Amino acid sequence: MKYKTRLKSFAAALSFASLLTIGGAIKASAEDVVLHMAVPDWPPTRIMKAMFDKEYKPESGNKVTLDVDFIPWPDFYTRVNASLTSGEKKYNMAVSDSQWLGAFVEGGYFRKINDLIDADPALKTAMDGMHPKILNAYSTYPNSTPNYYGFPQFPDILVSYARKDIFCNDEEQKNFKAKYNKKLPCTGEEMDSIDWDLFGNIGEFFMRKKGDMLAGQPADDDFYGVAFQVGKGYDFSSTSVHSFVWQAGGDIWDETKAPDGHAEGQVNSAVAVKALDHMLSFIKYMPPVAKTGTMDIFKSDELFRAGKVALNVDWVGLGEASLDPKTSKVADKLIFGKAPGTMGADGKINRTSQIGGQPFVLTTWNTDVINKEAVGFVKWWLSKDVQMEYASKGGQSAIKEVYSDPKYVSLRPWNRAWASQLDDQKDMWHVPQFFDLLTQQQDQYDLAITGKQDAKTTLDNVAKYQEKLLKDAGLIK
Amino acid sequence: MTTTVIQSTPSSLTTLAPDNWKLAIIGGLGVSILACLALPATISFWIVALMVAIVAAAFVVNAYRRHYYGGLLAAPAIAVLFVMNIFPLLWSLGLSFFAYQSNQQTIRFVGLANYSKLLTDDLKAPELWANLTNTAMFTVLTVSVQMLTGFLLAVLFAKQFPLRRYLLILVLTPMMLSVVAVGVFFSYYYDPTFGIISQVIKAWTGEQFILFSSKTGAVAGIVFADAWMWSPFVMLLVLAGLVSVPTYLYEAAAIDRVGSWRRFWTITFPYIRGLLMLALLFRTIEAFKMADLIILLTKGGNDTMTISYHVIRIANEQNKTSEGAALSYLLLFVVIVLTNLYLYIANRRSQGN
Repeated sequence: MKYKTRLKSFAAALSFASLLTIGGAIKASAEDVVLHMAVPDWPPTRIMKAMFDKEYKPESGNKVTLDVDFIPWPDFYTRVNASLTSGEKKYNMAVSDSQWLGAFVEGGYFRKINDLIDADPALKTAMDGMHPKILNAYSTYPNSTPNYYGFPQFPDILVSYARKDIFCNDEEQKNFKAKYNKKLPCTGEEMDSIDWDLFGNIGEFFMRKKGDMLAGQPADDDFYGVAFQVGKGYDFSSTSVHSFVWQAGGDIWDETKAPDGHAEGQVNSAVAVKALDHMLSFIKYMPPVAKTGTMDIFKSDELFRAGKVALNVDWVGLGEASLDPKTSKVADKLIFGKAPGTMGADGKINRTSQIGGQPFVLTTWNTDVINKEAVGFVKWWLSKDVQMEYASKGGQSAIKEVYSDPKYVSLRPWNRAWASQLDDQKDMWHVPQFFDLLTQQQDQYDLAITGKQDAKTTLDNVAKYQEKLLKDAGLIK
Repeated sequence: MTTTVIQSTPSSLTTLAPDNWKLAIIGGLGVSILACLALPATISFWIVALMVAIVAAAFVVNAYRRHYYGGLLAAPAIAVLFVMNIFPLLWSLGLSFFAYQSNQQTIRFVGLANYSKLLTDDLKAPELWANLTNTAMFTVLTVSVQMLTGFLLAVLFAKQFPLRRYLLILVLTPMMLSVVAVGVFFSYYYDPTFGIISQVIKAWTGEQFILFSSKTGAVAGIVFADAWMWSPFVMLLVLAGLVSVPTYLYEAAAIDRVGSWRRFWTITFPYIRGLLMLALLFRTIEAFKMADLIILLTKGGNDTMTISYHVIRIANEQNKTSEGAALSYLLLFVVIVLTNLYLYIANRRSQGN
């Protein structure tokens, strides 16, 4: 008797459970498809979401909604990492920083998309039309092999933000010429010619104390020459160091040369040490917060918008705020040029630069229906008209057909400097040990930036650590 | 209520009854082991969970039939404690003996290798040691500043004066704020360009003041922010002790013309000593775990990295789960030793008096 009731209740529980699972399965294959997506919270993704909600009509006839988690930048990696590794399988798509590819591909979270591209001619055309440097940086793992994991979402590049009212002032022009025998750049094209020497001159020239004359009137607060990212958080000093090292002819540990390429000897080569010293030499012309190791991309942008800096090198992705008079004191006084580079012996400027920006990826647990809708969305997103509209609202496109359109240059004031730098972009590592490599060298660079350690010791420490880590991981023989 | 019903014979091991918890344990264990061996992990996990539920149910029915209501009432709390606290603790202890990264699908038993790597590796051990000394420094500095400030504030607020209640609320506010808000607030407070400290000092010297440009400055900034936030906590505890001192003792002391210093040592201090010790214990444990303010203010820059932040980095950001677990257990060991030492001293003191 007792036995029977027990069995009965067990059976009841079982049928209830099966009902639930069947219910879930039915729901997934119905007309409503929700794409859950993790993205950083900033204009490029906000614009994408707004355009999706307003304009996207899926070809399949399903009702597709894009459920987007906007995560603040400083937490973005931690939150996405926690969600993926915890196995909650929450997101179908995610914006991923290109360097994360290895870690999350090896973990089995990011889906290889070669089959989806090959199966869809329109998508293949879009991917083939991408700028190759961008495609390699954003989509491939191992780095620069034809194994694709990401669709470029926002190709971000460093540009110079400068103050027209100060650079074009006659008095300043005259004094600069007298002091350095060089023309102080005033137009965007002239800004393009800034190499690090001229950059240093500008930095030194525009250091003003409160009350000193600045562009014809006394400065209301201390004013500083230049700014670029040299912060401890995330990759905010590595970005700058890598660019300096590459431009000087050195290199970081190059994963495409594994397993024969070593870190020791390469990372701490004499050229690299000189390049790091070169970078450190500009900190004295920056707002003093740089000496505390917290000058990140947001801080330098904030200082520039508050009118404290003459020239700032920062991502175009942060540009919208400086154009808006509500958030920027300098909204009507902007000139944009290419990011500075190193003058070569041949008289050409080498601007090899650490690329920014992100691809978006699909996760491995998506059902076929979800994948189909996601591909539909990506195809729509990468189509020419949509990319053009995105660019007109403040986004960027890596598709050649779009960015080489004559209209494109006029869409945003920095676009002229943006597209011409695409060829110079390069990415750091895509290996799974990326975050380990990054945090250790960020710690070391911080010691150099805050003046606790010289460049040689810093790079020696970085090289020693990387050599051991990569050897243990089997990436160096 | 009659008591006749429950006088049933104690069920033997083999009878299938809902209160036979012994059988439930044996059966549950057997089924769990079989399920773990034969089925894939995703299914066996739920089977094991079901077995645990059945055993728990048997315990509950058994307790109910025996009128053991006290245990029944405490059971949910114990269950929550087990699920949320003890189980994860044991799980992470287990993990610390494996080579496991949360973003990789492989796991391998390595014994004590994680521990020995942390303690002897020529790159990791110095880092661990540096972070530990930093943590010790922060603990000593923040706790002593907080104890002193909190105590003095309590002495102040134990007296009656106009607007006391409103001021008290104001003083308690920092404790109720979110750490993130405090961190952002102080990062602007200390900022050389926008910050008020720098502006005030600049009015005197003409130079912007960069507090975080040296380790001393960075440590001072962090200690000040932490003390600003948590001194009120110490004050609250000490204040509770101060107001509990019976006034007749003070009156008697006044009649005997006892000096104020002696009055404090012989009357006030014995009443607040226990609470002071409690405040010290709480704050020491908390200070030992400090990471939030450092992440917000310096991101570990200027050699202000603490051991907790180090654990967060290894376990959550670099996904080296088992190494992080091993480090956490080293940390736990240190905290347990310190706490017991403290309790031992505190107990001996109170027995001695």
